[in-house]
Amino acid sequence: MERIVHVEKLRMKFPGDESLLFKDLSVSFDRGEKVLLLGPSGCGKSTLLQVLSGLIPNSIEVPMKAEELKWPTSWGYVFQDPDSQFCMPFADEEIAFVLENLSVPKQEMKERIQHHLRQVGLNLKTIHTSIDTLSGGMKQRLAIASVLALEPEVIFLDEPTAMLDPEGTKEIWDLLKGIGRDKTVIIVEHKIDHVLEFIDRIVLFNDDGQIIADGPKDTILSLYKNEMKEHGIWFPGVWDEYIHDNKPIREHQSSDGVPLMQVQGFSGFRKKEEKIKVEELQVHSGEWIVIRGENGAGKSTLLHALMQFIKTNGTYELMGTPIKRVKNLTDHMTFVFQNPEFQFVANSVYEEIAYSLRIDKRTQQEIGERVHSLLEVFRLEAHQDKHPFQLSMGQKRRLSVAASIVIEKKIILLDEPTFGQDSKNTFALLEWFEEYRRRGITVIMVTHDDHISNNFATRIWTVKDGDVISDEKVSTQSGFVETKVLSF
Amino acid sequence: MKKGLKLTDILVTIVIAVAFGIVYIVWGSLYYSVKPLGLHVDQLIYGMWFIAGPVAFLVLRKPGVALLAEIAAASGEFFLGSPWGLTVLLYGVVQGLFAELVFMAFKYKKFNMSVAVLAAIASCLGSVLMDFAYGEIGALSLWNLSLFMIARFIGSIFFAGVTAYYLVKVLEATGVTNLVRPVSSKDYAELDQK
Amino acid sequence: MIVSSAETWLHKVNPSLKLVALIVLCIVALFIHDLNYMMNVTLGVLLLFLCFTGHSIKHILLLSIPFCFIFISTSLTMILFGKGETLWFEWGLISITEESFMRGLLVGFRALLFAALGLTFSLTTRPVNLFYSLMQQVKLKPKYAYSFMAALRLIPIMMEEFQTIRNAMKVRGFEKGKGIRSVYFKMKAYSIPLLSGSIRRAHRIAVAMEAKRFSDTRDRTYYYEFGFSKKDHGFILYFIILLLAGFYLSIQFPLLPI
Repeated sequence: MERIVHVEKLRMKFPGDESLLFKDLSVSFDRGEKVLLLGPSGCGKSTLLQVLSGLIPNSIEVPMKAEELKWPTSWGYVFQDPDSQFCMPFADEEIAFVLENLSVPKQEMKERIQHHLRQVGLNLKTIHTSIDTLSGGMKQRLAIASVLALEPEVIFLDEPTAMLDPEGTKEIWDLLKGIGRDKTVIIVEHKIDHVLEFIDRIVLFNDDGQIIADGPKDTILSLYKNEMKEHGIWFPGVWDEYIHDNKPIREHQSSDGVPLMQVQGFSGFRKKEEKIKVEELQVHSGEWIVIRGENGAGKSTLLHALMQFIKTNGTYELMGTPIKRVKNLTDHMTFVFQNPEFQFVANSVYEEIAYSLRIDKRTQQEIGERVHSLLEVFRLEAHQDKHPFQLSMGQKRRLSVAASIVIEKKIILLDEPTFGQDSKNTFALLEWFEEYRRRGITVIMVTHDDHISNNFATRIWTVKDGDVISDEKVSTQSGFVETKVLSF
Repeated sequence: MKKGLKLTDILVTIVIAVAFGIVYIVWGSLYYSVKPLGLHVDQLIYGMWFIAGPVAFLVLRKPGVALLAEIAAASGEFFLGSPWGLTVLLYGVVQGLFAELVFMAFKYKKFNMSVAVLAAIASCLGSVLMDFAYGEIGALSLWNLSLFMIARFIGSIFFAGVTAYYLVKVLEATGVTNLVRPVSSKDYAELDQK
Repeated sequence: MIVSSAETWLHKVNPSLKLVALIVLCIVALFIHDLNYMMNVTLGVLLLFLCFTGHSIKHILLLSIPFCFIFISTSLTMILFGKGETLWFEWGLISITEESFMRGLLVGFRALLFAALGLTFSLTTRPVNLFYSLMQQVKLKPKYAYSFMAALRLIPIMMEEFQTIRNAMKVRGFEKGKGIRSVYFKMKAYSIPLLSGSIRRAHRIAVAMEAKRFSDTRDRTYYYEFGFSKKDHGFILYFIILLLAGFYLSIQFPLLPI
């Protein structure tokens, strides 16, 4: 077998970090291999992928050295965020950008653009389609099309489906399997269900950026299951094991009395256009409500309407008071955004949690106690002096939840709180939400994850084309499901 | 130093500028709502328009960045179809050039508050020169002109100098500036630790 | 973005030439101090704006509303507080003289001219076309041109982020803070996430562009190619005639007696 990518004794350190990210790391890949790099978040897999392609140090300057380093001569790279890998506004222009870089004559461009779009199954009305109008999955297809325009021997995939819903994820992997058949493919990915059948080798990393195992996938999967579980990797069956070990119970609390929240003939508007419609819904305390629906169906819009971020009309009462007369809505409800960074206001993790308490003029002692207990619950003690932006993705999410609930609210709204999180973090978050729910707090979340709806939700709202079409009450105790079909 | 700015430097500079371009639009509505008063209250907040250059320079610390940032910030408004677009573009070039000259005078090696304030004052001076040509402010009565100048200089020092400096300080705390700053040879030396 | 779908001859003028011509005209206008001449030139440019941008009358009128505002806000200070000999009106600090009034109008028309020129350009030119043309005709380095194009794509994304931050601040109870301290907090709360997010995104895009083999060589091919045509001659001719005829008319048939 011919070695196509190779690094020997790699050393690397980010400026300002205390220790080396890699210390004398060696790894090599043969032509035609399909390899998955696995490890805990922050272990440097993505960075290694950039070294193997030559992006580090050619495009990104990071102090590094290696005794030997062989880059592939022709390669392509698919990144995780669909919105930060395009530089042109239209689909055809984006692929044309690649062709221009390769000095392809103008006359040949149209045809090649159409060819590559066909290859990835992106059937656009016209090739001159604005990228902004494409869904996340379509954008990733376009990214793959522009990689194909490079006619690469080696393809690097850096969590290409991290931002996609389950359906989009499956479609993209199906596509990649076909395209990658005769190429060398090196992959970094957490959600490995769809990846496993495609690859033949796994390289496993630990927290310190060392390779702890490297071999055929079946061997690694059977020998290192515990390590993977420990690292929060989404290996197949991780949910089943969790349910088996923890058996979450979804019992309903008594739901008589005045509902916590009640809407009737309710609509939400964006730019004067009706984007979400609800015939009737009631929310009681201690419920866990999951909002389901396809991409673009209006799930987030429903949350935004309930939170009054957008204009609404119709009846909307909070504990019997019309919403317009509720003075400080945020005293009763809070919202956790998909991107935690937007919510951060302070310069340290500690201050971030303390912020709401300070605004509320609590005593110094109370602030100290409250913040410390939350730091402990959300496993952030060690980072309390860091700037919130310096945390890892999982820590940021935990901090945003902690900061939102530091003053207890009756309702907590969340927009895809487990999105892009590893399994360890996901389960930890779900357990906290469950604990709050048991204390009588109502959790309303948008999620694509059916495991959450099937194992934690006590009520499921389904949204379709801007319409809440069903309201199901579910529980594990009695196996009882009551569905109220609202409209079709 | 390799020849000129790298793609990353240029793109980051322009995007910083565009971010301020968005702030400017909000700022602009505030500005023009106080402007017709005629007594130059508006001039106190005029300095906000010079902030992109110093911020971009303090973040990237490379030659040419301040000028590029001002041009890019101004062109954002131009492309969005603001009726002030072309005016702003011309002003942007002059303001950026003046700020750039200050950083150049310090050989692009000083990143403290004084240099930011000096750059702000220079940008302000550039804008005043443009106002003599475009707005004929030389024909204003003396008391009015003095009021105008004092207000604008104070505003510039505060927004484009002091505020720019502190904003970048906070940005440094977020760790994002490490992405774009030049790597030192000391960082390479640390690779040889055991 | 705001470029009309109905194309006129102005759309077909070479974008670089269009930009250079506009900037030259702006600089010339800085040296025009005769009110009648300035009015003629401004009217000539308004004609282009009103008739040849390919937008519907309704849209054009809508876009013209800020023009009145621009005119008033620019000229008023000069009219009320400008120097002058021939006093027309005085009240407290305000003194309107004939000179200050005329100069106020001059400044107002100049602002109007700039606004009309700028909008005419942005209504008839796709930014992508402008940058492709600048690379081909003015030899702008591709690394600058593509950076600008990439950044323009980010504007709507950043606008959305701005809105999200606004909502997030509501949730965090920002309205409750008062005074200078809260103004500082607000400014920081908006600009830091916006800036740091944008810097990281810009960095990622630059890396992605280089992963697609972008390099700053000039021997690249172009998906859109631009050259010159008769429309360009017409465009230049229009401005030359405008400047000459405007001057002639301002002397022979002045709109205002000065």
